[in-house]
Amino acid sequence: MRAMKMKNAISKMLVLAPILALLLTATAYGAAPGIQGTTFNLTAQDAYLTQPDGQSIYSWGYGCSASFVPTFAPKMTTTGFCNTMQVPGPTLIVVEGQSITITLTNNLPPSAGNTSILFPGIQLQPFNDGTPGLLTQEAAHGQTVTYTFTAPGPGTRAYYSGTQGDLQVEMGLYGAIIVLPKNVPSTCTANTGSFAGNNGLAESAWGESDFRLAAAAYDHPKTCYDREYLFQFSEMDSNIHTQALAQVTAAGNCTAGNPGCSLNVPTEPYHPAYFMINGRSMPDDMDTNYATQYPHQPYNGNPHMHPGEQVLLRIIGQGRWQHPFHEHGNHVRILGRDGNLIVSATDPANSLAGPLLFTTTTTPGMAMDGIFYWTAKGLNWDAYAHNSTSGDPNAKLPCIPDANGYNTSAPAAINYYEWCQDHNKPLQVAPFGDVAAGGPATLPDPNIFTNGAWYGGSPYLGPNATIRAVGSTGTTPPSGTIANSPTGEAGFAFMWHSHNEREITTSNVFPGGMLMMMLVDSREFVIDESN
Amino acid sequence: MNKTYQIWFLILSGCLVTASANAQSFRVQCPTSTITHPAATNDTEPPYIAPTTFTTDPQGQFLKPVSANGAIKCQQISGGDGFATMADGTQTYMFSFGPLSGLADIASGNPGTEPPSIFNTPYSGSTRLMPGDPATTDDGGSSFSYNGAIGLVPDPNALPLDSNGNNPCVATSTNTPPAACYTGHVDPRQMLDIGVMNGNIPAPLMAIDEDDEFFLTLSNVGMIMRPDLFEQHTVHFHGYPNASSFYDGVPDASVAINIGGSFTYYYLAPDAGTYFWHCHITPPEHLQMGMVGQLYVRPRQNRVSGDLYASLQTQQTDLRTACPLGSDNVHSDILCSNPLPAVNTHATGAATIARGGKSGYAYNDGDGSTYYDVEYPLQIHGFDPSFHFVGMTFNPEQFTDMKDKYFLLNGRSYPDTVTTGPMETQTTDGSNHFSQPLPSIIAMKSGQRALLRISDLDVTEYQTLASLGIPMHVIGYNAKLLRDQAGNNLDYYTNSITLAGGESLDVILDSCAARASDGSCTTFIPVGTYYLYTPNLDHLSNDAENFGGLMTEVRIN
Repeated sequence: MRAMKMKNAISKMLVLAPILALLLTATAYGAAPGIQGTTFNLTAQDAYLTQPDGQSIYSWGYGCSASFVPTFAPKMTTTGFCNTMQVPGPTLIVVEGQSITITLTNNLPPSAGNTSILFPGIQLQPFNDGTPGLLTQEAAHGQTVTYTFTAPGPGTRAYYSGTQGDLQVEMGLYGAIIVLPKNVPSTCTANTGSFAGNNGLAESAWGESDFRLAAAAYDHPKTCYDREYLFQFSEMDSNIHTQALAQVTAAGNCTAGNPGCSLNVPTEPYHPAYFMINGRSMPDDMDTNYATQYPHQPYNGNPHMHPGEQVLLRIIGQGRWQHPFHEHGNHVRILGRDGNLIVSATDPANSLAGPLLFTTTTTPGMAMDGIFYWTAKGLNWDAYAHNSTSGDPNAKLPCIPDANGYNTSAPAAINYYEWCQDHNKPLQVAPFGDVAAGGPATLPDPNIFTNGAWYGGSPYLGPNATIRAVGSTGTTPPSGTIANSPTGEAGFAFMWHSHNEREITTSNVFPGGMLMMMLVDSREFVIDESN
Repeated sequence: MNKTYQIWFLILSGCLVTASANAQSFRVQCPTSTITHPAATNDTEPPYIAPTTFTTDPQGQFLKPVSANGAIKCQQISGGDGFATMADGTQTYMFSFGPLSGLADIASGNPGTEPPSIFNTPYSGSTRLMPGDPATTDDGGSSFSYNGAIGLVPDPNALPLDSNGNNPCVATSTNTPPAACYTGHVDPRQMLDIGVMNGNIPAPLMAIDEDDEFFLTLSNVGMIMRPDLFEQHTVHFHGYPNASSFYDGVPDASVAINIGGSFTYYYLAPDAGTYFWHCHITPPEHLQMGMVGQLYVRPRQNRVSGDLYASLQTQQTDLRTACPLGSDNVHSDILCSNPLPAVNTHATGAATIARGGKSGYAYNDGDGSTYYDVEYPLQIHGFDPSFHFVGMTFNPEQFTDMKDKYFLLNGRSYPDTVTTGPMETQTTDGSNHFSQPLPSIIAMKSGQRALLRISDLDVTEYQTLASLGIPMHVIGYNAKLLRDQAGNNLDYYTNSITLAGGESLDVILDSCAARASDGSCTTFIPVGTYYLYTPNLDHLSNDAENFGGLMTEVRIN
């Protein structure tokens, strides 16, 4: 019965999806890329990281052993690489309950001494190799240590060096481990019309693929999601890296353990000038995943979503400072902390109890999972600028509210997930474009304001609405909006950034640092997260 | 000047098709009625009885409201620069917002948000508005009482000439321009006389009610001390759920207003809570330099006189204001936090501000748990004096080495935090301005509860505020009620709260240590003076003065 309703809905709709999809260039946006499996052969090695001010910073990082052939996730990753060094380290993706084996070979310079990995929140099994260290088993220079465990409950957790952490974590030895749920609730995989249900139908209608690692973050029906991103926050004081390089160079190929063959790099005073999301500063973080110009910084921060999609944010604080990570556009419901789902004491099966935050402060070593969405609920004007007197059929699409007030009966519609209470409500008093009039606000003369690079071109969402809004002929969108094309994307841009505003700079230059632009895209714009 | 604008980041606007563009750049907007509030006047909120409903035509076209809640509120602010006085006496340069409406209200420590009837009333004092007003008038011995929009004058083009060839919108000894002449047209001389260097820290206070429409006009009057900067300004409403990108105030994501222009932000009030606002142009610079302000939304529960639980049930019938329980199999919203409370306390609506009293609720709690008698907004911030000096003297800015030396509550450090009345600072044109209108004295009568709406806009570090003698009862966080999806309240007690820039929370200080089940006080905290102070002890300083800083007094009397 459900299939029949779906067919009727599509046949009534003007099928613009395939036509519009052709107009769009495919650029990769994010997802939570990594390597998936049960055995991971890692190495720790040195290399140079790139910063937008042109500097190359000597750093250490985890990577894939040269002989190890990883399986990339999500499945449609085609350009993935896992070099012998990357920052953050490779995102390890496992499934709850699996037996996991991680070997770490220490290929750091001999003067760096031992290295290791800590897996907070995970119970390790007894060691059969390696060298005992203060916090965990370590690998001496050139040697290997093996960590084995049963993957715990689902969620996102940090991993980082347990050896001389003040130096090794600063140098870049950290990463993420994602545990996927073993028992994804059926409500998260069925197209039931619930909040997270029909998105799969909408994606297929518009030619999008599913880039999720799983359909739910935890084994809980309230943790369904449609899209996901992983963000790791860290900072760098290049003085420490410069000193490390000088001492490593001076020590040469000394034999580890001999006198004089160790590093004594002061890690105080601490004055970072670089602030990174996933190992890159703005604007590099908005380049693609696995961009070849950053061979040791494969992961990006460039989130996109459609209205109504439940977006899972996996957020980790690495480094040594806290960062108030602020998401413009809406709150985030925290599902769990360090892989611990927070549920109501009186109704754990159905009710979440994590806080709602518009600023998800990160703390070193701590990870959180949270859900975000954007829908224009309560905006009080039609974000799609529907206009019942227009000659354009897309300006007259219907909005049929479901139990939550959203237009979900036609997953292939441009205005899928429109908030129907505001359908057809005008914003502007007397617009000159093909949008409804009689609204409350008068927009100023465009000559007296400055356009931003991510300005979609109008207050409205999507190319159809924007082209109708910007002129009687609809062919002269404003210039200067180069990163959010008015005729191709015209999304709603929101800045996601650290609110310690000094951290959105790179070497004293704004913009930079911990900053990225999140785009809410109309369904007309295909979000392609393939890497 | 070490600040680089990457060319692709902010590009001057090209020309849109401007067939009907306005000639004037400064302009205010404050309609007396809209399609959402179609009554002839919308100056006060009616009691909340039922959700807003509206009619639609057979095609689903929105027609008109059947019943409208809320009202219309308006405010105008200037974006420019100014000077403030630190607790060690230093006169510090700021980039800042200043009030261009509600000037008398702001000077007395209240929000500068006005209904249309007040906002749209032009100035009619016997003497003209002077630079530095209201401080100039106050210092001269008179009292300043004007709260309308600065600059509002009749629009000479609003109406056609009458049969005698006279312009009805020009005031003469025999002609008073009618209301239709006020279209938002402003006199730029008034705007600049008042607006230049009238910056406040914190920026003008905004307060609206749920279901209100809010028109906020930002007029960019330029920064007189920085003629090298053709700086835009914006207003970012921090924390708004489902915010509009166009009105979000992020210049890279939308538009920013140039010098000499006005931009009117339009929002239907978001869910009740303690938000805040700030400029979003080069945030590391503009926020450190002082473009930060406070904003809160009062819940519609303030307009309820009967049973609170029943009223919250009524709110659940409107999908816009509903918050389903986790056990609801039909409805769901993962981002709301006020479902029906698990325990029905049968509380009834108190004599709130909206109903002629003085108290209020912080959220639509349905059980009275967020009740307060008095409320105080409290904004934490920090100034780096060398950065402010550099900001005035065209020198390269060091973001990496930024370090606050002044620690501010509502723009002042102790002991100025407990000085009543607005603080005055002389600006470089020789006029005095009320630079810091808000003291931070938390005053309450014995037995009362005080709501502290605490926000933080520090640019470099986290700050902690602790309470000596009176526990802090945290009931809201990031503008959301602390409650789980099953309706259990998740409020907690603590002795201190820690916030970074970009965060806010709601704390109730109860002058009563123990209450009976009917809410009456059985054990009073003794009358006297208590302290809110920071245990970041190095922040208890005013630059080189080793006592002062982030500290204020709670006075139970």
